[in-house]
Parts: sequence; structure tokens; C-alpha cells
Amino acid sequence: MSDTISNTPRFKRGEIVDVLIIGAGPSGSVAAKHLAQSGFSVVALEQGHFPDRSKYPGRNPEWELVTQKQWHPNPNYRDLPRDYPINTSESDVNPLMFSGVGGSATLYAAHWTPFLPSDFRVRTLDGVADDWPFTYEDLLPHLEAVEHEVGVSGLAGDPTYPLRSPPPTPALPIGKVGAKAAECLDKMGWHWWPGTNAIPSVAYNGLNACVRRGTCMSGCPEGAKSTTDITYWPHAIKAGARLVTGARVREITVNDSGLATGATYVDENGRERHQRAHSVIVCANGIGTPRLLLLSTSNRFPNGLANTSGMVGKRLMMHPFSAIMAVFEEDLESWRGPYGHNVESFQFYETDKSRGFVRGAKWGVMPSGGLLGATSFVGSKVFTSEKPSAGDMWGKNLHEMVERRFGHTMVWGIIGEDLPEESNRVLLDDTLVDSDGIPAPKLIYKVSENSERMLKFHEERVLEACKAGGAIETAIVHQMRDTGWHLLGTCRMGTDPGNSVLNEWGQAHDVPNLYVFDGSSFPTSGGVNPTATIMSVAMRQTQRMISERRNLKVA
Amino acid sequence: MTRQLTNDDRILFGAFADHLIPAYKKMPRATDVGVAADLLDAVLGFRPDLREGFFRGLDAIRGLPAAEAAERLFKSDNPTFEILGLVASGGYYMAPEVRDLMGYPGQESLSYDPHATPDYVASGLLDRVVKRGPIYVATPA
Repeated sequence: MSDTISNTPRFKRGEIVDVLIIGAGPSGSVAAKHLAQSGFSVVALEQGHFPDRSKYPGRNPEWELVTQKQWHPNPNYRDLPRDYPINTSESDVNPLMFSGVGGSATLYAAHWTPFLPSDFRVRTLDGVADDWPFTYEDLLPHLEAVEHEVGVSGLAGDPTYPLRSPPPTPALPIGKVGAKAAECLDKMGWHWWPGTNAIPSVAYNGLNACVRRGTCMSGCPEGAKSTTDITYWPHAIKAGARLVTGARVREITVNDSGLATGATYVDENGRERHQRAHSVIVCANGIGTPRLLLLSTSNRFPNGLANTSGMVGKRLMMHPFSAIMAVFEEDLESWRGPYGHNVESFQFYETDKSRGFVRGAKWGVMPSGGLLGATSFVGSKVFTSEKPSAGDMWGKNLHEMVERRFGHTMVWGIIGEDLPEESNRVLLDDTLVDSDGIPAPKLIYKVSENSERMLKFHEERVLEACKAGGAIETAIVHQMRDTGWHLLGTCRMGTDPGNSVLNEWGQAHDVPNLYVFDGSSFPTSGGVNPTATIMSVAMRQTQRMISERRNLKVA
Repeated sequence: MTRQLTNDDRILFGAFADHLIPAYKKMPRATDVGVAADLLDAVLGFRPDLREGFFRGLDAIRGLPAAEAAERLFKSDNPTFEILGLVASGGYYMAPEVRDLMGYPGQESLSYDPHATPDYVASGLLDRVVKRGPIYVATPA
């Protein structure tokens, strides 16, 4: 990993920049590129490093072995110096993330699934949670703009969405896994569509075309999975943005007027530094962002910055998730990629209250990986039931199981909408600290009854589809623990400063020159992978900053 | 000081690994492909975090027949058993001869024509989805 891009410009020590961005993941990258191109002076602080894709293990024989440790998405398993620890002793789900330029998308599967129209109106439609302060239609132009920067692949015409512009690159091959899944769903008369992915099928905006290596979730060694170290930062830096890596922010500072003045951070060598700025945008994910605001206490903000409402850290949403393994007689070549979903289904996405729960879930069908993948999913050994003796899983039983499953298996991921609850929250831990001595976050998170019912219903439907397609073996991992990819809701947008942290433009009610552009700002979670919506919201908020630049209140 | 693997350690682990992964039909046993030799060094090199548990496991099974050792460790210290199992299977499934026998070329690079009409379009399979019409709930007025 290198510290900076070689042509990152230098600002003078003590210089006040227009905008300080904290976090160089998907949302921070969108903001950095567009603000810099519009003439703002921009500094971004990123606690991780710039990725070196020659280090990604996907081409090597030890690939599956190291995805269970060094490249596992759970920072508590990886335990690398740039990760911060998270107390999960009171959480049903482990949060997953990655520190580095490009953020957690470095390890994502690149499923590109924008929120649906109903996701923005759950209070109006279903009487639960809250409506967003804007609509699907308001966000659509920003989504379409982002898709052309990201290099999305897919097929136009999916009846899951209102008519809209096509993805900029053709759909990836769905492979034998996708074809079999489509057959299963077709037999039921249910919706399916070839997967839309943040992985271009042709070379695009610095990305290479996908070669279906199938190792997306340990970093793409081909440079084909869309991450912002490739698609955004070269443009941002060319436009003058400065990216500081290995910079762990300790506190956002404020002046006597209650305006943000910049941030104090610990650099790679352990030295404390301060970056001054007229405005600050926090993009550190749904755990890192509230952690930082809660760390930023002062006489004026004794309970944490922008926390007059008491909502900072509350309403954490991580999506209920179940995985279903299905094995078929046919050779599905199921080690082949892409790992982004081959086929998706929204058949049971919208609310039908007769099912006993509200909202719904999206299904994504993925390949199963290599030989160790016969019992594992994304680095975790889950497709093995408890056995009374060692001999039940080893010896000839191991050979028979691997021969039956390897190359013949698909994995269905069920992502359900997670309704916000104030009791699900991010706190600062009393004793746990990161490698710089900064208090670590603690999660309190329980899977709700609505989520439980939702997952059970969807698991049963997936099993029906697999049975219709002739599955010879299935296994369910109900509410898989290592699935907290989607960290949302902990600094929600809203119109009432009494129960929300941000206004509809991602601007803190309490601190007018402090912004949050990441998934923390989401009032609700949808039931889909959120990166498309996170980047679209960041684009919307950034364009507003640019258009209102003469009216912005700054320190 | 880092504990070094001895020849006795390799013999002990090899017997244990052969019990977990015996010869069966076309498949070789673990030590036939080097699970207690070069592949053991490779696995512990790629996963140094496993070393401590690996040696703990060896100490626990020393002096016992492999079958009895496996069942005892499985019940008395399952996490350590799992580490020995992962070292054995991790090495075994990296072996080129095992991959050849299983028909696994590794995670390979494939070429394709992104502009070709997919089978699911040409066959009309996707048409059935389209003809059923929209399935989203529109934004309320």
C-alpha cells in the first residue's frame, strides 16, 4: 500500500481549505471529485492507504485461505493496524468494512441496486418509519450521472424500476449459475433479471473489463471492479484535491460560534495534526461517522457534535440477511465470476401485509467459489451443520461433500429492509481503543421481529424456487452474523431538528458548515445493497453545495 | 521465540491429516500431495495466525492414534480441531494434483463478447418477465 498518489498537490501547513472531507470511500470520493472540479480547495483525510491491486490475492492459490483472515470483511477478524476495533458483544450482526481509499467497496461484491420508489415513502405507503425528505424521482438524475462515472453494467428494461436510462456498459455474462437460477425463477413465474453490477463489461473510465475471475470480495486484481481509487480519485487529484492517507481523525473542531473549523488527526507517524477548513463533510460510514461526532465534544456540544436531537448514533440499520446454498446435478462452473450477483429477483420486494410483516427483500444469486467454498461464504465457514463426531465431516464424507458441491452450487443472498429503531445504536466504548488510543465504537443491535418474519418467508420462497429447479441439496444460514455490510441511518436526514441530525441536503441542523454525505444520513434502509444510493445521495448533496456556494455559511 | 516445526511434528500432523483426508476413489490422501511437507509450510506462511493453535493441537494429539485423537480433540477443544482441519484442507485443496482431479483450474480469467445477444434474450426466457409488467410501487402522488 502506498501513502499518496504521486501527484497529490501540497497545501501549506495551516492553510484553510474550502472543504475538508473525512473518509475517501464511495461518498467522500464523489464529493472530492466534483467539488475540486468546481474550484473548491479540497483536502480529504483517509485513515487507510491507497490500494495496491497487485496485493489482492485473487490470482493466487491461497486465495480462499487468506479470505478467511487477512481479507475477511470483518475488521475484528482482520485486526490490521489501520482497522479500528468494534465492540460487538451486544450486537446480533457483525459490522463489515475496510479502511482505505475506495472504502469498504474495496471488498464489496459490487451489486448495483438503486433504491426503489417505495423505499423513499415507507411512512406514507406502509405506516412505518419515516419518508425521506426527497423522492426517487428527485434522486434519479444524480443516480444516472453517478452510473456513468462508476461504469455500471446491466440490461435496460427491468420492470422492477420505472423506465429510466440504460446502464453505460452491457450486462455481464450470467454464467451457468445465473442461467440455472433464472430457470428456477421462471418455473415459479417469478421476477428475475440479469444482475446489474458496478463492474463494467468493457474498459471504462480507468477500469478494465471484467474477466470473470470471481474474486471480487477480496479486491479485484484485474482493476475491473468499480472502486473510487480508480474511477474518482485520479480525476479529483487532477482537479487539485489533496488526499492524505494514514490519517485517523480524532475530533472535528469548532469555534465559539459553533461552526466547524476543521479536524484534528493522527498521521502515519503518530503525530497529531490539524487541518483547517471552512466546511467539513463527514463520510466515514454508518459507524465511523457517529463515532467521530460523539468523539467531538466541547462546551457548546457536550453530547457530541450535531447531537442536540440526541439522534447521533441511533437508528443503526444493517439489513437482515440470510444465505441459501443450493446444489444441483448439473455442472454450473460455480467458481467462475463475477461474484457480483449473476441474477437478481424483486418478486417479493414490496409490502404485502398478509405475509405477516411489512416491506420486503431483494434476492441476489452468486457463485460459490473454489474448493474451500464448499462449506464457506465470504470467508466464513457457515454451510456446515453441527455434527456429533469428527468423522461425520471428514474422511470419505469430506470427499463426497466436496465432489457433490464443488462446481454445482449457487448461493442466494436475501437482503431485507431493516426498519429503524432507536434502540439499535452506536456508542463509544468505555475501554476499547484503536491503535492510536482513540475510543472505539460499541454496537447495540437486535434483529427485529419484522426482520425475522421477513427472512423466514423469503427463505421458504427461495427453497421453493430451488426445488422447482431440481436442487439436490440446500442449506440455510438464517440471519448470518457476518453480514453487516450496509451501515446506515445513524445521523438521519429529516425536516425536524428535534428528531433528526441533518436536513435534506446532508447539512447538520446544529452546525451549518458541517455535512454528512454517507449512508449515516439515510432515514430508512431499503432492502437492497445501498452503494448506488449512497453515491447518488452524495452526488445530490455535492451538487447543492456547488450551486449554493455563494450562500454557504462557513467558519 | 517462534516454535519451529520438527520432523516429528510433520509425522504427527501427517497421520492426523491422513485420517481427516484419506485416499478415496480417485482422490489421494493428504500426505500423498505434501500436506505435511511443503504445503504445511505454505499454509502456515500464508496464515501465521494459525501457528499457535496448530502447535496447541499437535501437543493435544501427541501419543494418540489419529482416529482417537481426532474424536477427542473434536469434542474437547473444537476451535483447535478446526485449526488443524483448516491447515490440512487448506493445503490439500491448494495442491495442483488435487485441483486437476477435481477439475478446478483456480480462479481463471475468461474472455467473452459483451455485445453478444445473451441466450436468455434469444430464447425468449426474459420476455416472460417483461410481459408480466412492472412490479414496483410508484411514488405516491
